[in-house]
Amino acid sequence: MSDEYAVLIIDDEEVVRDSCTRILAKNKCRIQTAPDGDTGLKMVEEFKPDLIFLDLKMPGISGMEVLERLQQIDATIVTVVITGYATIDTAVEAMKRGAYDFLPKPFGADELRLITKRGIEKRRLLLDAIALRREKEIIRENFTSIVSHELKSPLFAVQQTLYAFLAGVAGELRPEQKEMLERIRGRIDAMLKLINTWVEMTSVDFRQLKERFKPVDIPALLSKAREMLNAQAAGKNVQLVTHCPLAVKPVKGDEETLLEVFLNIIGNAIKYSDADSCVSITIEDRNHALRVSVADTGVGIEKEDLPFIFDDFYRGKAQSQTGELGSGLGLAISNRIIQAHDGSITVESERGKGSTFTVILPRGQ
Amino acid sequence: MDGKRILMIDDDPDFVDAVKMVLEKADYTVEAAYSPQDGYRALESKGYDLVILDCMMGRGAEGIIVARKLRKKKELGNLPVLMITGIRDQTGFFFVSDPKDETFLPVDGFLEKPVEPGVLLKEVGKLLHSRKTDESKKGE
Repeated sequence: MSDEYAVLIIDDEEVVRDSCTRILAKNKCRIQTAPDGDTGLKMVEEFKPDLIFLDLKMPGISGMEVLERLQQIDATIVTVVITGYATIDTAVEAMKRGAYDFLPKPFGADELRLITKRGIEKRRLLLDAIALRREKEIIRENFTSIVSHELKSPLFAVQQTLYAFLAGVAGELRPEQKEMLERIRGRIDAMLKLINTWVEMTSVDFRQLKERFKPVDIPALLSKAREMLNAQAAGKNVQLVTHCPLAVKPVKGDEETLLEVFLNIIGNAIKYSDADSCVSITIEDRNHALRVSVADTGVGIEKEDLPFIFDDFYRGKAQSQTGELGSGLGLAISNRIIQAHDGSITVESERGKGSTFTVILPRGQ
Repeated sequence: MDGKRILMIDDDPDFVDAVKMVLEKADYTVEAAYSPQDGYRALESKGYDLVILDCMMGRGAEGIIVARKLRKKKELGNLPVLMITGIRDQTGFFFVSDPKDETFLPVDGFLEKPVEPGVLLKEVGKLLHSRKTDESKKGE
């Protein structure tokens, strides 16, 4: 907003419109007037006023209604109501509906100038705040994508070169050379995964998920997750057992991110299970919601860790003891995804006895 | 592989070299362009059998634009395009669920960085073969 500002006066009395125009004309101010609410509202889009003086009592649509519609058009336009019957009640009512201040009739030139000055200041603050917020958003998004790109590009090049080496294009490798390169490759893989997770965490707006909701067949999704985790489970000889009612009605949700959640929870269950044990996945269909619980008999979670396990970057004590490495973000991301589904994710756990994670997905109406 | 000619368009020379080594070992002839402009120029002058394209050249999704342009160039005929990309880079898992969506990203093959050499050779072989079949059909 430049120094110049635009004021719209909506009042059915010609004398009010004229005198206001005259008083304000000396300022750096463009002024337009409207004799009734409908005309005024129509002018808003083209004229783009910063400040509107609005008479509450006019023929045609009421000032209150104009106020409400202005809120919908652009809530940053500052509106001051002019009221001839200056009861506190009407003023309060108008301010509840978004008016910034009120001006009781009759008013003097100084009063009008003062309230105009304050109204314009308010408008500037509102616009500044919005611009600042947007700037912050953009910086955050760009920062994440730049950091991600700049970190990952060199890693991709390193990784691709290792692949070429391992494929023997630079000559056959001795087994011990191969093993060392494999180790480097493993570490870089983990690093790439970590970067991906962090980027997801900071740049993805999970609220947008709702726009992509479709009916999801949860038992099918769980089998998919199981399939993807089979190798990991087989490696520790952990049995995955699913208990599921015959027919389960679908829930509305986003398949891709829900899969991410179950991969995370079941993956964790396997990770923190003892070898040769069992992870059981139970689906319960309740009319208003679907309940999926994943129970393991593994290391469990320390009581003091429990309140924090869904926090960003939190890593429990058990992790360091089992030698498992994690980003400390898996559950935090899962939690956000489930929240975007209006659901909940909870945990019961006892150290040394295992953990049960329960996801509840509501069916909505 | 009877000296099939492949053009790589990717702005990372080290990545290009690593892929090139694998392809050359399999007897392909590989040339590199490190920017879309160089890529278009190379395509104008020489006949290639396959283009390998990086999706996220620079910081935009420039590769997607390049893929769309290549598809529109009639004189390229049905030159197959293989995209190799770190697309999850900037889009998290909110990339269109099927990256091979022809209208969004008109490419013939799609691999994620880094690419296992075996997977790469298989995909390259497949795309070159499909082109050959197409052309022999045309000749009939």
